Amino acid sequence: MATQTTLLSPAELAYLHNSLTLSPPIRPDGRTSTQFRPLTAETGILPGTNGSARVCFSDGTEAIVGVKAEIEKSDEVRDVDDTEGTANTSSSRAMRARGDWLEMAIEIPGQRDDEASKAFLAEMLREALLADREFSKRLYINRRFHWRLFLDVRSLQFEILDPAVRFVWTFCSDNGAAQILLISPPLSYPLPLLSLTTHLALLATRLPRLKSEGDEDPMFDDDWQSSTHLYPRDGAAVDDDSRPPITLLVVAVADNVIFDPSREELAVAETALAISVSEVRKSRDPAAGDMETDSKRQLRLLSMRTIDPPSRLTPPGVPHVSNVTSAAPASTTQTPGGQQSNEEGVWKAPVGGTKYAVLDGIMDIVLESGGVVDEILDGLEGVDLD
Amino acid sequence: MTSLRRSREAEPLSANLSSKVYVRSTRSGKVQKIVREVYLRTDIPCSSRICRACLDRAPRNASQQVQPFVLSEKPAGTKAFPQGHYLVPDTNALLNAMDLFEQSTAFYDVIVLQTVLEELRNRSLPLYNRLIGLTRSEDKRFYVFFNDFRLETYVNREPKESVNDRNDRAVRQAVQWYGEHLAGTKAGKIPAVVMLSDDQENLRKARQQGLNAVSLREYVGTLQDGDKLLDMVAESQSQGGFKKLGQMLYPEFYSLSRMMTGVKAGLMHQGIFNVSPFNYLEGSIRVSAFSKPLLILGRESINRAVDGDVVVVELLPQDKWKAPSTKIVEEDAITKNENADAEDQGDLVSDKELKALQEEAKRTHKSGSESQPQPTAKVVGVVKRNWRQYVGHIDPSSANKSASSQGRKQDSVFLIPMDKKIPKIRLRTRQVSELLGKRLLVTIDAWERDSRHPVGHFVRSLGELETKAAETEALLLEWDVQYRPFPKTVLECLPKEGHDWRVPESMDDPGWRDREDLRGLLICSIDPPGCQDIDDALHARKLPNGNYQVGVHIADVSHFVKPANAMDTEASIRGTTVYLVDKRIDMLPMLLGTDLCSLKPYVERFAFSVLWELDEQASIVNVRFTKSVIKSREAFSYEQAQLRIDDASQQDDLTNGMRTLLALSRQLKKKRMDAGALSLSSPEIKVQMESETSDPVDVKTKQLLDTNSLVEEFMLFANISVAAKIYEAFPQTAILRRHGAPPKTNFDELADQLRVKRGLELRTDTSKALADSLDACVDSSEPFFNTLVRIMATRCMMSAEYFCSGTQAYPEFRHYGLASEIYTHFTSPIRRYADLVAHRQLAAAIGYEAVHPSVRSRGRLEAVCKNINVRHRNAQMAGRASIAYYVGQALKGRVAAEEDAFVIKIFSNGFVVLVPRFGIEGLIRLRDLAEPEPESEFDADSYTLVVTGSRSLTVELFQKVTVRVSDEKDERTGKRGVKMELVQA
Repeated sequence: MATQTTLLSPAELAYLHNSLTLSPPIRPDGRTSTQFRPLTAETGILPGTNGSARVCFSDGTEAIVGVKAEIEKSDEVRDVDDTEGTANTSSSRAMRARGDWLEMAIEIPGQRDDEASKAFLAEMLREALLADREFSKRLYINRRFHWRLFLDVRSLQFEILDPAVRFVWTFCSDNGAAQILLISPPLSYPLPLLSLTTHLALLATRLPRLKSEGDEDPMFDDDWQSSTHLYPRDGAAVDDDSRPPITLLVVAVADNVIFDPSREELAVAETALAISVSEVRKSRDPAAGDMETDSKRQLRLLSMRTIDPPSRLTPPGVPHVSNVTSAAPASTTQTPGGQQSNEEGVWKAPVGGTKYAVLDGIMDIVLESGGVVDEILDGLEGVDLD
Repeated sequence: MTSLRRSREAEPLSANLSSKVYVRSTRSGKVQKIVREVYLRTDIPCSSRICRACLDRAPRNASQQVQPFVLSEKPAGTKAFPQGHYLVPDTNALLNAMDLFEQSTAFYDVIVLQTVLEELRNRSLPLYNRLIGLTRSEDKRFYVFFNDFRLETYVNREPKESVNDRNDRAVRQAVQWYGEHLAGTKAGKIPAVVMLSDDQENLRKARQQGLNAVSLREYVGTLQDGDKLLDMVAESQSQGGFKKLGQMLYPEFYSLSRMMTGVKAGLMHQGIFNVSPFNYLEGSIRVSAFSKPLLILGRESINRAVDGDVVVVELLPQDKWKAPSTKIVEEDAITKNENADAEDQGDLVSDKELKALQEEAKRTHKSGSESQPQPTAKVVGVVKRNWRQYVGHIDPSSANKSASSQGRKQDSVFLIPMDKKIPKIRLRTRQVSELLGKRLLVTIDAWERDSRHPVGHFVRSLGELETKAAETEALLLEWDVQYRPFPKTVLECLPKEGHDWRVPESMDDPGWRDREDLRGLLICSIDPPGCQDIDDALHARKLPNGNYQVGVHIADVSHFVKPANAMDTEASIRGTTVYLVDKRIDMLPMLLGTDLCSLKPYVERFAFSVLWELDEQASIVNVRFTKSVIKSREAFSYEQAQLRIDDASQQDDLTNGMRTLLALSRQLKKKRMDAGALSLSSPEIKVQMESETSDPVDVKTKQLLDTNSLVEEFMLFANISVAAKIYEAFPQTAILRRHGAPPKTNFDELADQLRVKRGLELRTDTSKALADSLDACVDSSEPFFNTLVRIMATRCMMSAEYFCSGTQAYPEFRHYGLASEIYTHFTSPIRRYADLVAHRQLAAAIGYEAVHPSVRSRGRLEAVCKNINVRHRNAQMAGRASIAYYVGQALKGRVAAEEDAFVIKIFSNGFVVLVPRFGIEGLIRLRDLAEPEPESEFDADSYTLVVTGSRSLTVELFQKVTVRVSDEKDERTGKRGVKMELVQA
């Protein structure tokens, strides 16, 4: 599939770009820079799964996620008889969690199964989940067994661009390894939709209650109502109160940071980032007692990928002065390139990388407490589970 | 962000659609969430005869018939419900008091809710099966109401509600619905709908709802013989119960998952727990990982396992391994005078028990390297209890202490089971004085960690000890023999003509299709005297070419018993006819067994014939199988046949035919013996009865005549020919019989005994070698010695079993004892179900009839084989038990006879002797030899027991001794048995 052409003229692009660079930016649909498109969500729509969710954006795009859990024998099984000896080193247990404990399949109508873009999307969502060490800890049953999750993501009424990987750049944050990948441009991206749906589906996911102890062959309660949530609700274990990560799509236009870009906004973005954030709730201060039900949430950056924005492939606009038809003799004096770029009101595809200052700004906004991520998480919390 | 919540009511069909969600763990370790949709209906009938509305709406079958309604229009009333009542028990009520529901005096018109039925199945499969039995019986009027499928009675589980609470609510909902529904019928007298429960909370809530709810206890109290019935409520749940000790006597069982992990990893072993018949504190369990069974010693290691339970054991460290006990330890001797009420004697292992075990340990220490210690193990959990109903009697010593208290107070007593392997059971009863001296049927309810003995409850009384009716019923119950009369559905399968049935005269009749007319042949039957169910008849005649035609004709039972009808099902459950001394419990109704199928003389009968052409050397020239019509010329007893053959003046064709048969049978026998067939022996005796009163008057060992072996040889011959034929036709599903070669270790002990005591060698490599070395085991001075060795060798053998040919490889088909490659049972279809199946398969193999699916399905055949193997063994045991009982009765009141006996097993404090004349064994304890108990020294290596002190003698294995045989009532089992006293060693 060839690059999907933006059906906007350079003049329109320039206009869009201009209005987005204003402070505050003026978005075509009138949203503020951190406002998400309205969406509806429900969970538990697939009774046969361990957890499921459906999210619809108001533009009619929707996604369904189903989670299935299966029991799997862990590879590194040591002899059973040294159970007493080393079982207590619980700190090491999470380290054993492996990437293949989670399998993700994305289906987008009209796309082939081996479409690279799908694999890339799936990998991006999976990577965020796995980067969160809390997650693999939850799949651990005992030293011999673990759960293996199968996430089936189905996006409806959506078309995306074929991304191609340009280069990979890894850095280490203090939380451990996180990865940033730089990729080539799609237009508007289903990423936020899929990520939110996955988040809800995982929140709704329940696993049968374990009855056996230690490293025994696991046995489970056959009563589904007594099954436990993969992410326990409030009031459950205090130190175990994290949430699945969400991945946000953020674009920067000049100095403005815009969340949940529409297709048009993405077309003029200078930088596009996929940022995965997870929420860690600090255990409540025992002294504070029952101050407020919602404790302070701490955000943690898990990963960040720069996505090559489609704006790079748009054709440049031609300034009126250099229009051959209107002012023919002047054109010869003009050197191609050069000062032509900075002409006000004339569209020119952005070039070059993202500035650190922009990245910093984005991260600040994302991790700011009470900011946009908080808002989203609050919204997600409002969704009825089951 | 908007959250969408779909409400149930939003969907148009939601009212009659619901779902059930649960977790299923598969055997392969998968864990799945299962969602089942439930479609609720409104046409499930209430099944009360007063209700017209349900009758009109009830679903109809293909022929437009409604299932007949079950619940009576005039149910019995009680004081509280004079207008009559229907009972609705909840699960607990059924769990605790299934015996009550089976009573014939009360408990009619019961509504069994689907919720309750399903819960019961999860909790206890045996009880579930009994309840299903009740719902099938027409006179009890039990109706299964599918409340979870009926719209009005379905309840949704509330969030946070436990499954139990939801089920209780469903029961109350159903009771309420029934009440309202019946009230709507406007009948004259509307029966009350009464919920029976043992759950206080449930009762309270039901009363709050304004329902009729009573506890079991209250309800039974209002019945006529309430006191007696109350004893049948299971002990574990009853109020009051036994005084709790508070202190845990037994180790806790491991969790199921821990056991399963252990078994899978090979650290623990699963198997069936068996108790030694001589030592109640010693059990063994056979597991695949060890060639010898694992020993389980002592109360603590046995840890509440009861004989027959499927348990998981853990091996003990090697320094605790021991040799099997050489001591007789009987529960009654050691735990005598225990008080059933107070269990405050402290430690789990009483001093006496400890002492008994310690002597054990000392001995092992001494004997050194000669006898190999066996691995020992301890029980860590019970996978499946195999508790059944047990027959026994109340230990009078336990009753004495409490006999003073009269009236309605419950007393605790010990029940001593008839089966010595079962521990004594604590019972609570209000009727001690009535039950003393009676044979009782009880069940075990539970065995908690803090209770030394299992607790159980009384089911019913079989009658006075030692009365024939009670004792016979007792042994039938003990061996699980189905002895109730055939139900109506079975009798309906019989031919309508009854005893007037005749072979049709017209050869065009469908009964004659493909049947050969063999009425012209001179056929006769030879059976034990007085035999009524004649399975087989024979003939032989010389053919013009010099060869012989020999025919074995078997009753054509499969003509009358069609596959998969009620009679066939009943026969497959019974599996075999059981022969007791004075009674026969038939597999098939009398009409068939003793008349229509029985190959009686002088009348025409349908038969299934095997016809051989044999040459002079009794080799097969050809063989064919055919359905036929025969007319037996005479029914001989073995003795009559023998006399007739021996009488040279008889020269008629029939007698000459028998002589031919005899001659050929000798050749067959010789061939068989040359091939390595074993001639084994078990003491067979016959109790002679006085004809009028059928009281036993004498005991005789059975005499074996040539004619016995004549019949036997041809039956074996026919079975082998048929086996080959059906295997050829159905390589996967033929029903065959095999006798596995015994593992060599089985013979270790006997071989060692023979070597040490007599310098004889027992070779066991092949059946031929074994047969030869058994022949060599003779003692010129003692003709019985050879038989004795054969009897002991027989006990080392595996038991033969039925199997389905697809389950084994061909070499495994072998019948070790008969030295035949392939074998089946074909010749006694009247009394064995396997033969009936073989008949059907043979009929299909010769193209007589189409193969019925049940004869072809391997799964079903395997189930049949499994059942008839058990039934077969039980029938043998019941027969033996019956003989033992009658031997005791025959000796009763007689002057004690002095008889020769042989020592067959030696313990350090006693020995077992076999009395050939009566074919019985008896235990002689040292403490019975003299008072005080003499000192003894037991040498396990030379099998010698040297007794010194108050009486001095030496007892060796195989030694011939003289014993005085008299009858004695065994205090422990309440059985009249045989008492043996040593007269002279």
